[in-house]
Amino acid sequence: MTVVRAEVLKLRTTRTMLWLLLAMLGLVVLAVTLHGLGLALEDVSKHPTQMRIFIAGQNLGSVFAALAGAAAVTSEFRYGTIRPTLVAAPDRSTVMLGKAGTSALVGFALGLLATVSAAALTLGLLHMRDVTVLLDHDDLLHGILGGAADGALWAVLGLGIGGLMRNQVGAIIGIFVWVQVIENLLIDSAPKVSSYLPGALAQAVAGSRQGSLGTAPALSLLALYAAVVLAACVARIRRTDVA
Amino acid sequence: MTNVEVEVRGLTKTYGNRAVVADVSFNLSPGTVTGFLGPNGAGKSTTLRMMLGLVEPTAGVTLFGGRAYRDLASPARTVGAVLESGDFHPRRSGYNHLRVIAALAGLDEHPIGGVLATVGLTKAAHRQVRTYSLGMRQRLGLAAALLGNPQVLLLDEPANGLDPAGVAWLRSLLQDFTANGGTALVSSHLLAELSQSVDRVVVISEGRLLADTDLKSLQDGRSLEEAYLALTSGVTA
Repeated sequence: MTVVRAEVLKLRTTRTMLWLLLAMLGLVVLAVTLHGLGLALEDVSKHPTQMRIFIAGQNLGSVFAALAGAAAVTSEFRYGTIRPTLVAAPDRSTVMLGKAGTSALVGFALGLLATVSAAALTLGLLHMRDVTVLLDHDDLLHGILGGAADGALWAVLGLGIGGLMRNQVGAIIGIFVWVQVIENLLIDSAPKVSSYLPGALAQAVAGSRQGSLGTAPALSLLALYAAVVLAACVARIRRTDVA
Repeated sequence: MTNVEVEVRGLTKTYGNRAVVADVSFNLSPGTVTGFLGPNGAGKSTTLRMMLGLVEPTAGVTLFGGRAYRDLASPARTVGAVLESGDFHPRRSGYNHLRVIAALAGLDEHPIGGVLATVGLTKAAHRQVRTYSLGMRQRLGLAAALLGNPQVLLLDEPANGLDPAGVAWLRSLLQDFTANGGTALVSSHLLAELSQSVDRVVVISEGRLLADTDLKSLQDGRSLEEAYLALTSGVTA
């Protein structure tokens, strides 16, 4: 618990998390508004399109959760604070598991905020355009809770990637390239495989991807990925010489 | 303060075929300040990091009162260390840096005000570290090292960036610390200053131990600088 307390204190005593939160909310507003206002009225009246508008903002929660997780470890190497951290708390497994727990909580909160704001904005835009809202209570609740769970697991994935790479810029670019390029390419070139990738699983957990795994299997597989990457990260950090 | 003896036994670190530190052994006794000397790249910093478990030794061990650093019940209450002058988040205040260290080490926040006063940073405590001078960062590092009221201090170039008043303050801090039974190892290139602060000297060069003796024996009537250069020139020439 001392590591979790220290990690929360680290987040509260710089403005990094505030900027990350504002950037995420800004992009949620931008993405949902562009989809909500840019699509034709005929399309917006259909349920799948309304889900698409909601998802446009919902996905950002997972991406920013991963960035927050990665920053929790890469900023330590960037600023050299890894030395005083490991001198004060020499058990590296405990330090990394404490970081993982804190990142999961932060990721859950980011996922929740992204999905709640995406849902509110989607409903607002549909009302503004005088369109009948076809998204029901279950769609929204599933999306919001699933998005929050995605955030928690993606934050741990991000932490693991950050711990394996240790370079902050590299980790951030890696996460963006994976989400924006690699998974999108695989959706077209290898649709069967793409259903098992983290981005697709996140959408399945939030109930927003057709023809893929159900919520429970997707959540289990995403949790397994997070656990495997975290284990690899802990093993790497335990072996790393901190010069 | 409980006295803690430090034993460095056969510390070795190799990267491939290159030995950065080779079979270095020495003891640090309570009540003494030991100077840790050597040319740039001699392996001093690597040795200090191995002692604290930051770098895994290829061979050898360091024992603080018979225990490795990571096996200590409360490492921060036993050992305080200053390794680099820049190991701070630039946008976190000095005060909050100490709160983070206290939380990580399982220490109470209560002593923070006291150690900030000890190192002379009370007025600057709530400023972001990026606004600190090099000397102020050194003082903050020392404050973090003192937070757990440790019995051992391991300081890597602690006088770097300190003004003359700061150097004199550091000297008196070390004197008080060892007068109360503390054990200190101080690495520095400021030999004139070091000769006023230390009781014993450990010299390494190219990763190998050249001397582990008391200050007067090493000097043998010469200045510390003359004695050091005579000792190390034979190795580096």
